[in-house]
Amino acid sequence: MFEVRNLTKIYDDGTVAVKNVSFSIPDGEFLVVIGLSGSGKSTLLRCINRLIDPTEGEILWDGVDLAQIEGEDLRVVRRKIGMVFQHFNLVKRSSVLTNVLAGRLGYTSSWQSLFGRFSEDDRQLAFAALDRLGILDQADKRADELSGGQQQRVGVARALMQEPRMILADEPVASLDPVLAHSIMEHLERLNQEDGITIICSLHYLDLVQRYASSVIGLREGEIVYRGAKAEIRGMTDKQFREIYGADAERVGDLTGDLNSDDQ
Amino acid sequence: MNLPIKNALAERKTSLVPAPAAAIISLIIPGLGHILARSYQRGLLLMLSMGSIVPLLYSRISQVGRRQEELLDKITRSFQLEPILILATVAVVLLYIVIVGDAYRLARDRTARNSLAPFSVVLICFFVLGWQIGDIDVGLFIREIGDAKFRLGQIMWPWARAISRDASETLGIQEIKIPCDDNPPPQSEQTPDSAWLTASPTCGNLSLEDGTQGSILTLVAGNLTPNTEVDILWQDPVNNIFRQRQGGEYITITTDENGGFELDIVMPYRLIPNSAADKSLIWKVRARQLSATGAIGPSTELLLAMSKMIETIFLGMMATLFGIVLALPLSFIAARNLMDGSSATLAIYFVVRSLLNIVRSVEPLIWAVIAVAVVGLGPFAGIVALTLHSIAALGKLYSEAIESIDTGPIEAIQATGANWIQIVIFAVIPQIIPPFVSFTIYRWDINVRLSTIIGLVGGGGIGFLLIQWMRISDFKAAGIAVWFIIITVTILDFVSSEIRHRFV
Ligand SMILES: Nc1ncnc2c1ncn2[C@@H]1O[C@H](COP(=O)(O)OP(=O)(O)OP(=O)(O)O)[C@@H](O)[C@H]1O
Ligand SMILES: [Mg+2]
Repeated sequence: MFEVRNLTKIYDDGTVAVKNVSFSIPDGEFLVVIGLSGSGKSTLLRCINRLIDPTEGEILWDGVDLAQIEGEDLRVVRRKIGMVFQHFNLVKRSSVLTNVLAGRLGYTSSWQSLFGRFSEDDRQLAFAALDRLGILDQADKRADELSGGQQQRVGVARALMQEPRMILADEPVASLDPVLAHSIMEHLERLNQEDGITIICSLHYLDLVQRYASSVIGLREGEIVYRGAKAEIRGMTDKQFREIYGADAERVGDLTGDLNSDDQ
Repeated sequence: MNLPIKNALAERKTSLVPAPAAAIISLIIPGLGHILARSYQRGLLLMLSMGSIVPLLYSRISQVGRRQEELLDKITRSFQLEPILILATVAVVLLYIVIVGDAYRLARDRTARNSLAPFSVVLICFFVLGWQIGDIDVGLFIREIGDAKFRLGQIMWPWARAISRDASETLGIQEIKIPCDDNPPPQSEQTPDSAWLTASPTCGNLSLEDGTQGSILTLVAGNLTPNTEVDILWQDPVNNIFRQRQGGEYITITTDENGGFELDIVMPYRLIPNSAADKSLIWKVRARQLSATGAIGPSTELLLAMSKMIETIFLGMMATLFGIVLALPLSFIAARNLMDGSSATLAIYFVVRSLLNIVRSVEPLIWAVIAVAVVGLGPFAGIVALTLHSIAALGKLYSEAIESIDTGPIEAIQATGANWIQIVIFAVIPQIIPPFVSFTIYRWDINVRLSTIIGLVGGGGIGFLLIQWMRISDFKAAGIAVWFIIITVTILDFVSSEIRHRFV
């Protein structure tokens, strides 16, 4: 059970990015967060694994408030939460294997890291993860030699290395073309269904939302303006989808459901 | 359609004075006519050009014709001495006329197309003056290149000087008393199994400065190597040895088949200090044969060039090493993204950055001059100078590399539960190592190049040898140094590009 209660984030410059957000999801959920650019999706996701410190509120995971923990405790929680980024955030000049192995850092002592060492088990795990994502043959390449879709699969493999119970995916397919977008989403779906990993993912395209989400929350100016369970999402029309996007509906309207248009 | 617009423009920007007035005003103060015709920028530029060209021309003319009193004489004299000044004067007069014409044209019609003519003439004026100031003489270059062929040839192919053979000396010596007194030295013994030299008489007078010939000596020698050249040398009372010239040539004679010779010589000219002039002193005349008997080996010049080249490479290397060690910590406090946390750290950032920029803007050779003044001649001065410049250059490059770090991977590694040290090792270092290595190799390359010339101002290394050899016109030896520099720099070029290729 994962629950967010009255979460608020106010940036130093006074921007209220997330305003009093509350929701709860059972383990194994595929929660999709939708909302306009600037509505606070990234801020919400980053608060969960504390890349950003929330201003107020609770983030309860199995009864532990993630908003309160610090130091070693925080790192132990973080290693159970994988994260996938829009721009992949790979270390470009390191090899694919090294990037994937970095997912094990939370389990590795500083001492071993000083020499760049990983245990044999970790290496096996890395090869298995790469194999699972279909990029085993790319292991020795430099990360920036890969195509965008391949890089994002490395990103997913890195998250997988953490043996996570939850994966946060911040617009994981926004930099990819539609075919690749589906491929990445299918990988996430498989992790969700086969491994029971809870997924919290922000998305832009309606048909991706309908296809993969098991529940949805819609954000506007930091506030939740829509909650929908699986059944409702399937029935959701473009019109309803646009309503979540509020005043700017027309601007994003032509994007919804149209996989061939370029989002970014 | 076109016309009304043109009229509107003209109305809005008509000249303040009629065209002839603008021309006349420009005749008095070039450029002022333009300004009154509302061509402000153009007028100001032309005024500044004229205002710098005319004093420049005047200063050159009065410098060349400085012996003359009257201005007109100065001018004619300078024109005689340096005809290019005529050309410069013509160009300046032309500029004057063009500016007046341009002022008239623009005052009459503000919408007239801006012509580039005045500025072309300004450029011509500067070019001609530059030619005179730079003392450019293409003729000299072409004439001299013929004469220089021999010297250049020596520099380009100096290898005869790179080897030497051990030479053994065969000597015959005879004492000579100068001037004669009652008690001349005896004739040397005619030894049966070693070389000997006798002279008769065994005393005499040296040639004098006023042209008075010295005494004539008859030299007889024996037991030298047969059919081999002999040099005649003198050794003065304070043991300076010099080869004797006669008629501008060194005296040499070839021995007969028995290893002997007989030769008349006029005693050489040698300046004698007054204090020694009234006493009779013992000089020595020597007959010397050199024979290359030993094994072929590297010459002293070659060995010297080699050891200095090694010194040069190490000089560049040490400066690079010190540069790295000191630039590393500085680069972190000179990186804006690390220092913009508080206004105090930001202030440190600005101070360090400015210091680096100032140090970097002074040429390494100037630093070397300063370092020589502080620590004296030698490689250490060169190291100090190059280190200073390297710190500044590397500090700036490193800090820019730090500033361009991508925060994405740092965030991603942090999200895996990695601790601080793991983040540095896996996300920060991989991002800065390649640019750091690349910049460092680049700097090493520059430092070794610089260390080859830092010796010119006394900073040690092979440049020191090179400038010495050039000064004594030992072009072959200088050629060896030049070759060493070329070879080293070429190898270095290859190695550094190869390393950079691998890393980045
Ligand atoms: N570091 C920051 N400092 C100040 N304001 C910020 C910062 N990061 C984000 N914001 C602001 O907070 C609000 C929410 O931003 P956030 O990045 O969470 O939105 P988002 O929904 O992820 O948008 P996008 O779809 O463009 O990624 C925006 O108004 C943004 O300008
Ligand atoms: Mg975002």
